[in-house]
Amino acid sequence: MNIWDMNIWPLLIAAKSAFVVLFGMNLGVLLTWTDRRQGAMMQDRIGPNRAVIWLPTRMVQAILVLGALGATGATLLAAQALRPEEGAPSTLSALLFGELALFLSWFTMVLIASGAHARGARNSFDRFATGLAAALGGARFIALAGMLAQVALFFLIVVSGGGEFGETVREVSFGAGAALFGLAAVSGSLYAAVSMHAEPRVGLRLAGLLHPAADGLKTLFKEDIIPPGADRLLHSIAPFITFFPALVVLGIVPFGDALCFDTARDQPFTVKSLGTLISQVDSAALCPTGSTAFKLQALDLNVGLLYFFALAGTGIVGAALAGWASDNKFSLLGGLRAASQMVSYEVALGLTLVGALMVYGTIRVDEMIQWQARNAWGIFVQPFAFVLFFAAAVAESKRIPFDLPEGESEIVAGYFTEYSGMKFAMFFFSEYIAVVSSSALMAAIFFGGWHLPFVDRSAIHVAVGDTVYLHYAVSHGAIVVLGVLGFIIKIIALCWVQLSIRWTLPRFRYDQLMRLGWRKLLPLSLLNVLGTGLVILLLQGASETVASAVRYLANLSMALLAGSAALGFLLFIKFMMKAPNKKQLLSSTSAEYAQARGGTHSRRMEA
Amino acid sequence: MKASPLGPRGVVGTPLKRPDRTISVQSYVPEIVKGLGITMGHFFTNTKEMVLGQRNDPNTEAIADGINTVSYPEQQRPYPERFRGVHRLTEREDGSPRCVACLCCSTACPAQCIHIEAGEYPEGDKRRGYERFPDKFVIDELRCIFCGYCVEACPCDAIRMDTGIHPVPYDSREQFIYAKDLLLKMPGRKNDHVTENPRHEPGEATHPGIDRDRH
Repeated sequence: MNIWDMNIWPLLIAAKSAFVVLFGMNLGVLLTWTDRRQGAMMQDRIGPNRAVIWLPTRMVQAILVLGALGATGATLLAAQALRPEEGAPSTLSALLFGELALFLSWFTMVLIASGAHARGARNSFDRFATGLAAALGGARFIALAGMLAQVALFFLIVVSGGGEFGETVREVSFGAGAALFGLAAVSGSLYAAVSMHAEPRVGLRLAGLLHPAADGLKTLFKEDIIPPGADRLLHSIAPFITFFPALVVLGIVPFGDALCFDTARDQPFTVKSLGTLISQVDSAALCPTGSTAFKLQALDLNVGLLYFFALAGTGIVGAALAGWASDNKFSLLGGLRAASQMVSYEVALGLTLVGALMVYGTIRVDEMIQWQARNAWGIFVQPFAFVLFFAAAVAESKRIPFDLPEGESEIVAGYFTEYSGMKFAMFFFSEYIAVVSSSALMAAIFFGGWHLPFVDRSAIHVAVGDTVYLHYAVSHGAIVVLGVLGFIIKIIALCWVQLSIRWTLPRFRYDQLMRLGWRKLLPLSLLNVLGTGLVILLLQGASETVASAVRYLANLSMALLAGSAALGFLLFIKFMMKAPNKKQLLSSTSAEYAQARGGTHSRRMEA
Repeated sequence: MKASPLGPRGVVGTPLKRPDRTISVQSYVPEIVKGLGITMGHFFTNTKEMVLGQRNDPNTEAIADGINTVSYPEQQRPYPERFRGVHRLTEREDGSPRCVACLCCSTACPAQCIHIEAGEYPEGDKRRGYERFPDKFVIDELRCIFCGYCVEACPCDAIRMDTGIHPVPYDSREQFIYAKDLLLKMPGRKNDHVTENPRHEPGEATHPGIDRDRH
């Protein structure tokens, strides 16, 4: 059978399941590292970062130089392909090349200048970079100047319009951009290759990311101890029972909008069909009739959220079994705590979402996201429910401040006291994967999933009320990719907030925990259901004026999101430019000794 | 009524303001957001300063915005001036040890970790008859309790603990036995092998006491 005619649909289904599993597990492992690293950085320590792979210098040099040459070649080829037969290049390609080249240039310059500042200038290029940095007031002002140049170029190209001047500007930005990109890439990599010449080997650390890999490898080889009085079978399967549901609940999360292929559903879906991705879809229907929708969701279940609650509930079984099967009183206490805590918060977890379900009118997660894309994000529709759900979700994943099942101050390590090696690591990972899956669910239900403000299914469409400010058509594939990236960023941001909570709040007492669950979250979520129902009823009978006012508010919420994203970016730049507050103070003989040596000499901190 | 500085019970002190149980405190959420702001602020500031190489010098610069942390072992804090580190044997101007093998230090040592075997200068040496020299000088740094009595006891300023080096861990017990050559090679805080106190040899004009020629 010809491989080109084979039906690859089952392969695609398997691929998206594999993506979900890999995404959950990798992000979970990453979070175990991030958690430690984040806690360390709050105290101005580096944290776990010592794992390193040593590479021969010649190899790294070859990779650097060949990679830069390849990137330059690819850019020049792309420039050749994008250049129209006649007339000036398009606004988009001129912007692309100009901005990319400016970015790479200032970024390389900043790296070189700050490196030379840290270890002293070693060659004329170093001296040039440090001189430039000193003239501007510091390496970070090279970055500021570069960013300002990027903004200026953007406005120059957009404002200059289609006239003769505009054509010249686009021409220059396009051609000079491609050339400058190549120059910056090649010279930057040559500089790096030359400066590492004297070193016998180069360490690959990936900002300390190898550390979780080393930790995982280590736990695999550690001794697995089962206490003599333990139930061997239950003791061994409990980690799996905890691990499995935390991972598979990610299956119902849609990572992006459905991809529409112009191949009839009854035809076999071959490799060639991948090329029939529709370039433009309209906002109304999912996909045009006669085409195939490929949903970026591993499990397209019509029970939707119920699947999440059903499986998340089985996580209790693992913790309780682990506590019972360990033949240890501390474990048993931990298991009991875990079971009663998770059962209590499951109730609040489900009830807080009822309000959202009433508004969205569906329990399918992808339809919820579509509702949010048409109207407003869930955080604006159900802000109260979000706070309640967030608290319940943190409690459900048994993390600080609700980590009483493992409360080490009173019951050693709770239900996994008697676990070691990879089984212990599985409890550990499943906690973090539960963080990932609850963040994914929160991003989908309250933060619009793959929807980004003012990006609809076919275009960037900036409109408030009836006024359209900008409409820029973008192809279907690009919008879906943008959405997937946006969704992943939202998940990571929410995970990050959950981890920060860990480093902020102390642990509750057990009666406080129960009181919060039963006497605060539960009644409040019932109140939320009542309030939501009342508002829905009122809006159903409302006049056309009220309805259009609500629509206007929904549009404004999108504008608020886009505005706060832009403001956040500006604040970030301002923060990065802020000079550190340093004040010399020699208050001890040890400080005087350090001063006499010309400051504290530090070996390079690899991070 | 004017508040008495002693308070109603006659106790001197400033009354502490109790935290208000306002709605924002009791509802947790604004307070949690404030707390998150503080931890995230530390995180971002420290990360930015570490990435941009703007960290304060942990020894010579005051704690400003963030936390001033010594990132041991990449950065180290020099020990204070009077820190008792591992021992060193000081030298005279001509490079010979100042030690005269009087056994004061080994006698004073409560841990009995100093072993000295005295040697006699050969016949005809100008120091013969005045003093002896340590043929062997051994300190067991593992037994040593770093009390500094040996330094106190030494009449010649020959043994000092001003190296500023803390005792280092080794693989085996033998490596902790510091012999004369190693002790003589240990530098002081100024990276020298002499001391501030000048030594006045017999026969020199500065020698304060009596000797063979002046008595």
